[in-house]
Parts: sequence; structure tokens; C-alpha cells
Amino acid sequence: MSENTEKVESSCDARRRILNIAVSTVLLETGFHATDKMSLETLTEIVQCFLTEVGNSAKGYCELSGRVEPVIGDVMMAIINMGINLQGIEQYAARPNRHVIQPPQQAPVPRTPAMLSAGSKAKPAPHIPFHLPPLPDPHAYIRTPTHKQPVTEYEAIREKAANQKRDIERALTKFLAKTSETHNLFNTDDNQVFPLIACKPTFPAYLPCLLPTDQVFDFDELEYHFQVANRTEDMPADKKDQSDNEGENGGDNENANNSQSENQDAPTSSSPERNKT
Amino acid sequence: MQMSRMSSPSIGMDEDSGAGHALTDFLLQLENYSPSIPDSVVAYYLNMSGFESQDPRLIRLIALASQKFLSDIANDALQHCKMRTSSQINQSSKNQKGPKEKKYVMTMEDLVPALQEYGISAKKPHYFV
Repeated sequence: MSENTEKVESSCDARRRILNIAVSTVLLETGFHATDKMSLETLTEIVQCFLTEVGNSAKGYCELSGRVEPVIGDVMMAIINMGINLQGIEQYAARPNRHVIQPPQQAPVPRTPAMLSAGSKAKPAPHIPFHLPPLPDPHAYIRTPTHKQPVTEYEAIREKAANQKRDIERALTKFLAKTSETHNLFNTDDNQVFPLIACKPTFPAYLPCLLPTDQVFDFDELEYHFQVANRTEDMPADKKDQSDNEGENGGDNENANNSQSENQDAPTSSSPERNKT
Repeated sequence: MQMSRMSSPSIGMDEDSGAGHALTDFLLQLENYSPSIPDSVVAYYLNMSGFESQDPRLIRLIALASQKFLSDIANDALQHCKMRTSSQINQSSKNQKGPKEKKYVMTMEDLVPALQEYGISAKKPHYFV
């Protein structure tokens, strides 16, 4: 029970403090200069209980006579029933040294900042009472599909697949033509018009796939070098000529090791000797 | 809302109706006077116990009644306090200071007998367990 009252008092703390101020005012008017905390709290509690009791009794008298709104007679009955003497109330009201407390100002209601709101909230329909909370963000209850229904016709799908395949092939060939070696159809030096991907087979053809290598930065540090996709841009100039010559000759050689070493553009000490031989 | 004899049929006795008359007139004067306790605070406590009134004069009457009640208690406590200090000053007969100690401090010692006369027993424990 005491916990309930404590909780109630904490919620109306401001009013309790105002009652404290009012009680202090009355004490000042009476002639006291100071009071201790316990007396002040006792008197405040008395005032609060007085108000509650008067309200209760007056309401009871009012309902007893079949009314809903209390009248002064109800209030008088309640006060007299409590034993309070109101004889000199008019003189008391007209006393000279009365202080008046300012009514408490209404604190502004702290508005919760609108966080994480996307879109504008819709207006409530007229059948919804106005005192209910506003509608949530529209994405919470409205679902709009983000894509159209895909086409399921066989013909359209086949056509789309064929288009995709053709585009992929074209793009890939263009890319390879721009980055790797190209053959020229015509007997001109520049081949911007019709680049063809040069087809230079390496021997053995499966070897670059079995031993993959990253991008080559420094040819001197390589242990093995393969002509990956016939790429000659990374090779140093002197080795390029040699490897071209060796590549042409290496096809004839039946010895797998020799052809390997001829194809290598190795910076190791042993391989230049082999290349030169 | 008309404040007249007709609106309070529950009170039929002459004394009460006379008091009702006087207070009805007083209530008209009350519009100019505002008691120490603000109206909103009194209205809040009355609403908590179910008493809802649209007439501010009724609220002010209740506030004034509580204020008078409080000042009566305070006056009685002041009497007690004065008795106490006057007896102490009489005991210390050597009066260096001519005027008497004018500052009165209200303590529980003065308040409890004052409340006792009103039928309110306020017993506080001297120690806390």
C-alpha cells in the first residue's frame, strides 16, 4: 500500500511541491520564520488529505441527492461533516498580508523527433476517430512490387536467350581482340578495322591450365614462364624475339623437355644457355 | 450555474440555508480573490477523488477552507512555540538583548500538540529502524 502511494506521489511531484510552497506561505503569514522538514511534510500531507477528503465527501453528498454536478451545499456539508469550522472565513479572506502563488506554467510537451521515417504518413480515413495515434509509414502496410511479371512465353524466352548469348560472345571477343595479340586479315600494319584474335597454340596446350600464374610484374623473378594466352606485352624485348623464334621451332621438336625449355623465357642461368644452343 | 437556494435541495435546515446564503454571497466576492494554493493544483487533487466542477469559485472555496484550516493549526503551533520560548527567556533572567527573540521556528514539538487539539494524532518515530 505504501508503495502505491509512493508511486502516485512521484507522478504528481510538481503539485506536491506547489503544496509545499503554499504551506510555507501560510506559515510565513502566521509569523514563523523557519520550519523543519518533518513539520512541513506533515502539513503538506494534511492539506493533501484534506482536499481529497473534501472532494470525496462532496461527491458522495452530491450523488446522494441524485445529482451529478456538485453544488456549494454539497461542499459545505462535506466541510462541516469533517468538523472544520468556517466561521471566520470571510475575515480570513480579507486579511491584509496575504501572498498569492503564481499558478504553475504548463511545460511544453516534448515532441519525440521523427526518426527513421520514410515517406509521408497517409491521412486517416474519416471513419477513424481523431484521438487515435496517426497511421504508420506507408511502407509498413502498402506493398508495391518492384518488377513486372516476367514474360513466360517460350518464344520470347528463346529470343531473349539467343540475344544474350550473342551479346556475350560479341563483348568477349571484342575484349580479347583489344587486349591480346591479333591477326590481321589484310596486309597492312594497323588492324583497327577487323581485329581477329590471334591463335597461337602453345605446346602442350594444357600446361598453362595446370600451372596457373598471376600477373607477372618482374620477369627476372619467375621460375617458369608460360606464354599465357600468347601474351607478349609483359615480356622484355630481347626475350620476346627469342621466344618467338623458339616458339616456331619448338613445334617441330619432339622432346617435351626441350620444347618446354625453349618455350621458356627463363631468367635462370641454365635456360639462357639452353636457349642459345 | 445558478447559485441559489433552489439548487441545493438537500439542505433544508434554516441554519444551513442561512450559512448557504452567506456563503453564496461570499462566493460572489470570491471571484476577485485567489487563494494561495493555485486553482489547478486544487482541481487536480479534487479530480483524483472524483470531484469535478466547472465552477472555479467552488474550487476557490475549498482552497480557501483548506488554507484557513492550515492557518488555524499554524496559529496554535505558534502559541505553543511562544509559550515555550517565553518560558525559556524567563528562565534565563539575564537579558542582554532587550527585544525578545523574534524568530520562531516550527518544529514537531509545537506541531504535535496543536494537531492533537484537532484530533489529528501525528506520531513520528524518534528513530528509524
